[in-house]
Amino acid sequence: MAEEKIVLEIKRRPWYAWLLWAVWFVLLVFLAQNALASGAEIEPRATMIFWVSFAVVLVAGGVVWFVRNNE
Amino acid sequence: MAKNGKVKLNRRDFLKIAGVGAGASAVAAVSKPAAAAGTSNRGGTFSDPAGRPKRPWWVKTVDEPTTEIRWDQMERYNERTGTVRGPGFASYVGDERADELSKISDDMELQRLLDNVPGYTLKDHALSDAHRVRVGRTYLGPQGAPTPEERGVPKWTGSPEEAARIIRAAMRHIGAATVGFVELDENTRKLIYAVDPDGKELIFTDEKEAYETEDARYIPNDCKYAIVFTVQMSEETLKRAPTVLASQTTSLSYLRGEQIQASTQEFMRALGYQCLGESSTNALGIAPAFGVMAGLGEMSRLNRLVTPEFGPMVRVFKMLTDLPVATDKPIDAGIMEFCKRCKKCAEACAPGALSFEDEPSWEVRGEWNNPGHKAYFEDSIACRTWQRTDAGTNCGICFAVCPFAKKDKAWVHEWVKAGTSVAPPLDNFFRSMDDAFGYGVQKDNEDWWSLDLPEMGIDTTAPVMEV
Repeated sequence: MAEEKIVLEIKRRPWYAWLLWAVWFVLLVFLAQNALASGAEIEPRATMIFWVSFAVVLVAGGVVWFVRNNE
Repeated sequence: MAKNGKVKLNRRDFLKIAGVGAGASAVAAVSKPAAAAGTSNRGGTFSDPAGRPKRPWWVKTVDEPTTEIRWDQMERYNERTGTVRGPGFASYVGDERADELSKISDDMELQRLLDNVPGYTLKDHALSDAHRVRVGRTYLGPQGAPTPEERGVPKWTGSPEEAARIIRAAMRHIGAATVGFVELDENTRKLIYAVDPDGKELIFTDEKEAYETEDARYIPNDCKYAIVFTVQMSEETLKRAPTVLASQTTSLSYLRGEQIQASTQEFMRALGYQCLGESSTNALGIAPAFGVMAGLGEMSRLNRLVTPEFGPMVRVFKMLTDLPVATDKPIDAGIMEFCKRCKKCAEACAPGALSFEDEPSWEVRGEWNNPGHKAYFEDSIACRTWQRTDAGTNCGICFAVCPFAKKDKAWVHEWVKAGTSVAPPLDNFFRSMDDAFGYGVQKDNEDWWSLDLPEMGIDTTAPVMEV
């Protein structure tokens, strides 16, 4: 019987990747805070812009994560 | 993985838990009610012995105000040459025109009432009329509180820092937003009017006790400490300018200023000191100038005090006392510098009364202006005429559109204000973003009546910005 080998490749995330994910997270927190607070301030246009920005950044991060995970 | 009854975390599980925990904390912080967030730093003790509020790092205390002043050219102002009270406006446009404009204003008010125009409806007028009640403004004060002498005790004494701190604490409790102090020297004394709005002269005297006659009010030279304070206006309400609904927040602020003045005068009397107040609205001296010298804010393109905390959404008042207090210095928060590039108020001013010049000027636009300082002098006649022919109120559009007129819940406002202070080249960008984000757009008047606003429409937990 031929030996079956399974090769596992472990990629260590480089330091700059951690940094970029941290920046992404901070940006999300910033946008979320401003979106919620703009709603409390009764500024509808600002609220909408911040929520849309939040959604875009969130989805962008999700896409990047998905693509990198499948490389 | 449990081993021998002990649960061990591997590195992967630990990082998962830490990440989830950090995310949960961030979400909790973001969703924390803004009011609660505003109270988190409130209620502590003054860190400054004189009770000066701890301001953000980008609000710098300076020796000279950001408004250039030629004290040698400045003279004490006769308030009756202004356009607001007394014969001022009529003296510039003529009695006939003044009467004509009054009739236009009255007719327009009635028509708007009959047409139920939002912001000018009967309920809006009723709310404005609610502020007609009067506590009374008096130069010498109500003089009802017992003096220490009447109580048989010595008058209060303390260091100037202590005096400033207790006056600040008392006035904040009574309802003032911010409080500052200016000593009257040979220069700042010129900020006291030569003639009050009612025609009485203001005369400095060596006598120890202040008094007034039919023709004059006498200010003892010992009463050389100006107490300057601000009262917030409801930013949410004034964003409906120029309607009656919007302008009544101004009336409410003046009413509160009147009550704060009377109460402070009694407080000072009970301590054993004199406290000379405004004999009528905006009497005694130049309010924005005192606000600048007391470090409460900076002058601006709309020619009113703009504060780091509330923007222009304040009314400014002043009193004089003989209790030595620790005085304050002007500030530089980048406001006057921002005004050079912004011009949003000038663009929004319907009658075009505000200056579009890039730089402030020494040149006045009329006798209603007080020369001797560099400013964006306004055409008061155009302003006051439009108030009568179109607004039907004292307008306030310039206040409403000012980029500094913001609440303090969203983090971005503090970042932008800090940015305007330290990076003036970004001012045009900030102005563009202010427009893009819809700030300053007139809000719906009828919607106001459905809003769940805080008391008086203001946030009283925010005298200074969080640091």
